[in-house]
Amino acid sequence: MKLLHLGNFPLDNRRLIGALFLTPALLYIVLLVGFPFVLSIAFGFSDVTVGNTDLSFVGFRNFLAVWENDIFRQVFETTIRFTLISQVFILIFANILAVIFTQEFTGKWFARFVFILPWATPVSLAMIGWLWMLDTKYSPIDYLLLQLGLLGRGGLLSDNRNLFWLAAPDLAQISVIFVQVWRMTPLATVILMAGLSSIPTDILDQAEVDGSRFMRTLLQIKLPLILPIMVIALLFSMITMFGDMTVVYVLTRGGPVDYTRVLGLYSFQVGIEGGNLAQGAAISLFAFPLLLAMAIFMLRTASRAEVR
Amino acid sequence: MNALGFVLTNFWALLVLAFLGLVGLRIVWRVRKFGATRRELRHVLRRSPFYFVVLVFCFFAAAPFLIMFLHTFKTDGDLYRRPQPFVYRQEPTLEHLDALFTNTAYLDFIRNSVLVGVAVVIITLLLSLPAAYALARLTGRWGERAGILMFLVYLVPPTLLFIPMFRIVVLLGLKDSPLSLIVVYPSFTVPFSMWLLQGFFKAVPPELEEAALVDGYNRVEAFLRVVLPLSLPGIISTVVFTFTLTLHEFIYGLVFIADTSQRTLSVGVPTELILGDVYFWQPLLAAALIIAIPVGLAYNLFLDSLVQGFTMGAVKG
Amino acid sequence: MSVVQISGLKKYFDAVHAVDGVDLSIQQGEFLVILGPSGCGKTTLMRMIAGLEKPTAGSIHIDGADVTELPPRKRGVSMVFQSYALYPHMNVYNNIAFPLKAQRREKKFDKATMRSKVENIARLLEIDELLDRRPRQLSGGQRQRVAIARAMVTQPAVLLLDEPLSNLDAKLRANARDELKDFQRSSNITAVFVTHDQIEAMGLGDRIVVMEKGKIQQIGTPQRIYDDPANEFVATFLGSPSMNILRAKGHRFGFRPEHFLPKTLQDNPENSVSFHYFVKRVEYLGSDRLVYGYVGGHENELTLAKVPSNIRVSLDIDSEYEFAVHYDDIKYFDEASGERVEAQVAGAAWR
Repeated sequence: MKLLHLGNFPLDNRRLIGALFLTPALLYIVLLVGFPFVLSIAFGFSDVTVGNTDLSFVGFRNFLAVWENDIFRQVFETTIRFTLISQVFILIFANILAVIFTQEFTGKWFARFVFILPWATPVSLAMIGWLWMLDTKYSPIDYLLLQLGLLGRGGLLSDNRNLFWLAAPDLAQISVIFVQVWRMTPLATVILMAGLSSIPTDILDQAEVDGSRFMRTLLQIKLPLILPIMVIALLFSMITMFGDMTVVYVLTRGGPVDYTRVLGLYSFQVGIEGGNLAQGAAISLFAFPLLLAMAIFMLRTASRAEVR
Repeated sequence: MNALGFVLTNFWALLVLAFLGLVGLRIVWRVRKFGATRRELRHVLRRSPFYFVVLVFCFFAAAPFLIMFLHTFKTDGDLYRRPQPFVYRQEPTLEHLDALFTNTAYLDFIRNSVLVGVAVVIITLLLSLPAAYALARLTGRWGERAGILMFLVYLVPPTLLFIPMFRIVVLLGLKDSPLSLIVVYPSFTVPFSMWLLQGFFKAVPPELEEAALVDGYNRVEAFLRVVLPLSLPGIISTVVFTFTLTLHEFIYGLVFIADTSQRTLSVGVPTELILGDVYFWQPLLAAALIIAIPVGLAYNLFLDSLVQGFTMGAVKG
Repeated sequence: MSVVQISGLKKYFDAVHAVDGVDLSIQQGEFLVILGPSGCGKTTLMRMIAGLEKPTAGSIHIDGADVTELPPRKRGVSMVFQSYALYPHMNVYNNIAFPLKAQRREKKFDKATMRSKVENIARLLEIDELLDRRPRQLSGGQRQRVAIARAMVTQPAVLLLDEPLSNLDAKLRANARDELKDFQRSSNITAVFVTHDQIEAMGLGDRIVVMEKGKIQQIGTPQRIYDDPANEFVATFLGSPSMNILRAKGHRFGFRPEHFLPKTLQDNPENSVSFHYFVKRVEYLGSDRLVYGYVGGHENELTLAKVPSNIRVSLDIDSEYEFAVHYDDIKYFDEASGERVEAQVAGAAWR
């Protein structure tokens, strides 16, 4: 009895081989991402803790508790603010750098190596460097400002010898945003470079013969042509940034007070460190609709802007 | 130590000297090739704003790494007492570097990271090579949809999943074992490498496979004997980037493994080399730098290939 | 009056001598075709006229001014690329207006002038209905017109065309060729057209420049180039099937297959040279018969004859016939250089 008609040459059957090739990966992903995701929702509606493994249904209690929590509101707001502000700078710098690195110049290989380092280095390790750069007492940046007379007695920025980068609320937020921009600009740049190098040279030659100068070619030809890819780059870095907790975990642990606490970190602190799995899951679930909306919106924009 | 000591104590002078020397050499080389010194100098002057912008960006990118390098060899006295972070006032010392490798679990972290990385790369290749080929060539519409799904899955951040994942890992009895990471990491490396490999496979002209089919191979053989060897450079760069993805991962590593000797680099260094409030700065900074440089070199080496894979995947996808 | 004056132009890409010493003067209003096999340097030459490549040596003057060091926008040239290079994100109107916008500040014209310029050229090329469309919504022929409109809208001194017909299918191509020629005549623009297709070149060019290995082999009217080739390369490059070349003592000589006919059919037999012709194969092409064979004394050199089908002479395989070529139709080439020489110089024995 034949359940599935395979034909005489199963190894030449396109659909069969296609299905066979795709299924293991698809299955693995569904199991490893789909199942935990469902579990996460189940956790959100339960009272599970690290000690108590029973899943008993408690309705929207966790979500309500989280939503009414002032800390959560602040965390949510901080996350969005960090994400949006950093994206602006990332896009500006990435565009400049992509234009630079799609040109030929002496020393390009070395320059590219240096500028890729922030992205190549594991985030948590790169943050150690910044932890020292922004140290309350020994910060080399403070030292430089001190030498320039901007710090210390009568200094323009502060009478103190230190700025307390990670200890002063405003500065801590600025520092975190700066470091995020620092580490994510290279990835966005690389994606934009891919876009720029895929523009046909004929089009650029044509623009040159048409009398277009550098800026006009950039603004009216190159950037509109890479718009779809730019949206993808933005999507990438926004979602990475929104879900990130590594930077703040190493730099500030959310401090001072709650000023740099972001969603991922808060969920970790409540769910794992505090042992309240249910509430931790509920916290991270709040991010999901936002991420989904963001992804759908941007993919739509990208495909609508598609010019080919 | 003497050569290193000399470099470190005269670091900035040497840096400026090396830069000027290279610029000079370059000018001499161009003058020799094209002649006309004045035109050459005008060329240098006209290009200098561009180079200035490049230098500023490079400086910002490199600052923490420069500091890491400069601080690795400082004695405690030099580092903490009336600090002058950019210069050496005392003899450079290798003592902290030595301590990093002998007194800490750094070597364990490296071993765990390599173990996890290699295992994950193997699993990822086994799953994603055929899947990417299927997406690139074999499946029509539903394959395309599966591809978009994969892309969306790659965008699901670990912060959304680590709590249930933690539960599952505990249930499977894998807590505190690198095995847990080997099982979980493919959840993001597989979509990533599928997406990249798909681009490389699409770059192989279909006529070549068709020729193989006509020559007497079946589809699977055509894939193994024609497509795989031809996309080897792409596969290698996929391996490199997959490996570094595992090296970068922090959250799962932090949540699943609490045992110091089982931790990976990205988690172990920032958590285990700090004892409460006591930071061992020189070993810490060295530990970060030692990883950063080779990964940076690998990225730079394979960047063009990555860009190509990305473009192919995006343009023809 | 010459619009473009090129002298001693060279372009070396490291070891490759893409253009190797070109002197050329292009006249006002003429349609000049640069013809050559791929890799002969014709596209590089054109890109240097456009200003997209910097010459290694030599100079280019346009309208009397030295433009060798000037960027494309200062040269008063425009160009149509093989791919047409239409900006995919702009509609037809904006595509055509783009060069005007780019030069607006220097040329000082306002929006209304710009609009009327675009509309005029669009009307001239019969694309005024398409101004709101995007390039991807256009057919191949329409795209080509848009590209030409964009190139013409600035009223350039020279219009450069880089194989613009090769993206069209065969049927459209003949049509587009006629239109292009008509348009060039009526607008009296100076056009430089690069191609590797000799039929295109013969049909379009007022003069043809034949290039090979970065050097100009010959410049002349299509007829001159065909009937009076300057050297062996030009002689064999043009014409299909190409000229028969036979070796003789101290020189080579050649004649075109269509001039190689049975002796009885030559209208002036006493002014021609006879050969014993051994027929090996005959192809029937409809209007002609293409005969493959060899002539006595040249058994290793394949010689073709193209005999019109309306000449009802039977030509059997493996038979010998007496064929002849008119004296004037035999060309002589120096053995070493391949340059054309006179019969006397070559020492040809048969007059």
